[in-house]
Amino acid sequence: MSDAIVFEDVSKFYGDVLGVNRVNLSLPPGITSLVGPNGSGKTTLMNLMTGLIRPSRGSIRILGMTCDEPEKFFRLVGYCTQFDSFPKGLTGYEFLYSYLLLFGYDRTTCDELAWKAIANVGLTEAAHRKAAGYSKGMRQRIRLAQALVHDPRILILDEPLNGLDPLVRAETIALFRSFAKRGCHVILSSHVLHEVDIISDQVVLMSGGYVVAEGKIQDVRDEIQDQPMQILIRCDRPSELAARLFQQDHVVEARLHKDRLGLVVKTSSPSRFYLLMNKIALDGIGIESVAPVDDDVNSVYGYLIGTEEAAR
Amino acid sequence: MKQLWRAQAAAVIRLELKKTLFARRGLWIYFLAFAPVALFLAHSLVEIHLHGVRREMARRMSRPLTEADFAAVHEGMTRDEVVAVLGRPAASRMQVRTTVKGPGQVELTPLESLQYSDGRTELIVWLRNGTVAGTGTTSGISLGQDSHVFAGVFQFFFLRLAVFFGCLGIFMNLFRGEMLDKSMHFYLLAPIRREVLLAGKYLAGLLAATVIFASSTALQIAAMLVQFDSNAIDQYLYKNHGFAEIASYLGITVLACVGYGSVFLAAGLLFRNPIIPAAFVLIWEAANPILPSLLKKVSVIYYLKSLCPVQIPIDPAMPPLIALLVSNAQPISAYVAVIGLFVLSAAVLATSMKLVHTLEINYTTE
Repeated sequence: MSDAIVFEDVSKFYGDVLGVNRVNLSLPPGITSLVGPNGSGKTTLMNLMTGLIRPSRGSIRILGMTCDEPEKFFRLVGYCTQFDSFPKGLTGYEFLYSYLLLFGYDRTTCDELAWKAIANVGLTEAAHRKAAGYSKGMRQRIRLAQALVHDPRILILDEPLNGLDPLVRAETIALFRSFAKRGCHVILSSHVLHEVDIISDQVVLMSGGYVVAEGKIQDVRDEIQDQPMQILIRCDRPSELAARLFQQDHVVEARLHKDRLGLVVKTSSPSRFYLLMNKIALDGIGIESVAPVDDDVNSVYGYLIGTEEAAR
Repeated sequence: MKQLWRAQAAAVIRLELKKTLFARRGLWIYFLAFAPVALFLAHSLVEIHLHGVRREMARRMSRPLTEADFAAVHEGMTRDEVVAVLGRPAASRMQVRTTVKGPGQVELTPLESLQYSDGRTELIVWLRNGTVAGTGTTSGISLGQDSHVFAGVFQFFFLRLAVFFGCLGIFMNLFRGEMLDKSMHFYLLAPIRREVLLAGKYLAGLLAATVIFASSTALQIAAMLVQFDSNAIDQYLYKNHGFAEIASYLGITVLACVGYGSVFLAAGLLFRNPIIPAAFVLIWEAANPILPSLLKKVSVIYYLKSLCPVQIPIDPAMPPLIALLVSNAQPISAYVAVIGLFVLSAAVLATSMKLVHTLEINYTTE
């Protein structure tokens, strides 16, 4: 059985409106973030993965399975949707309990699993209140509990951190990490780039229904040849270092950092630059640290699609 | 696997039944279902009251009367002769009848009415100038007459409107209602085959519709019978196939839910607006008598009409449209009707299975 989520030439059209187009992806285990502005196709891609909508063209296989085998498929997949509605009249506990009954579990198992998931998302006190009457954050948490309640191997989460307070956010991120560490897939969508940077093992950048780039964020950054990489060097003699660097043809720009304790360098060849730095260090300039400053999702997204604002 | 499907279908039924039976938006279905119960109960209460009045009148008679005594009164008899035959009346009243003879010409005729009763039938004797000018009798409705009234209400109102629209409300909402509430994904993200989901929802709807409409049928019959004395009821139940008739009506109600349920479940998967399928099916069902023989069979009412235990007599004065609805030009045997209805429902459900397999969540367009 394959351990990847594979999209093969997947397109989805809503009449004349494009949802996603010609998506070819292979997502390995770990945390994968789908990044893109509203309408870029993130939710469409997630709905396609879970069979809530069908592709107009192409195929999707999750661990070698399709959603046409729901009895097996949805035991492995948990999906926390953005749909903020619940079956009428159900309490938080009943919402999870009824969902588990659909798995064919006996009542005792349903009861145990429901309470465990409720405790995981910190809703024990509110479990017997109507889910529709919960606050936005609580509704988000009970949806998260629904996705987790059957201990799936693939967790698909549409904007999962929306509406959560900082403490719960941190706990939830830790939960995703522990999931990923176990070799599971966590696919999440977000437009908060800072958050994505912290969480993700790999990203899928989307714009206008197309996948613009995918992979580990540093690898994606390396592939953007037309934008020289920016590197911050903390050192004791920045002016002297700048003079040395200007002799190199791959160094496009070098300027003093605003605190005057470092140098921001733009290079068109990061590999040659790092080799050079080794040499310079041996020559006696005290280098404290060398770190890229634009290999985060925010910068990569800006280079590929536009400004950070575009992602909001 | 079958055990899993059974457990899953039971879970769906449990959830759907609660939603269907106790939903506030479904209150109109109860109103529609139980309106005929109120109608029959009101009718029975009026009859019980009138029966009491006639009995009280009979008690006040100077001697017990029979229908033969009533028949002895004829036009031209004097008041004294009437009293000699029937005794002192329970009540007598003086009235003046006004007759317009021409422009500005009005004739006033004093009339006296004498009221007699044998306890069941009331006789009114009209006297003009001291002689009998006419007689009239009124009596309570017999069980036989009421069973024809029941058959009419059952076929015209109950099957064609109450069960029809009730099933529309229950079954169309099973999928469409959840699309409107944006909660359909709850089921579609569970490890349950869509065919099992559809079967569970259909059975839940069928159970709810059966509980509502079969109990209404039973209550209508009870409300109709409540006005009759135990002898008349015993006679009807044990000697005039009353039990078989009641069982037939209950069975037809359940079969109507089976048939209309399957049709409206499929309609809920095909249409967003319930008015379109409702109007189409209503017209199709009404036009059944004039459809070609083959198309007749693609209709729920075609099978139900053949199962009805009491045929409504067609009065020559009946409006043609009503006569068309009543007529059953090609009656079929009960066995064929039941099998035909199940085959029709199964075919519609099989189509629904195909539709549900390709069902997509698209809340924004709902």
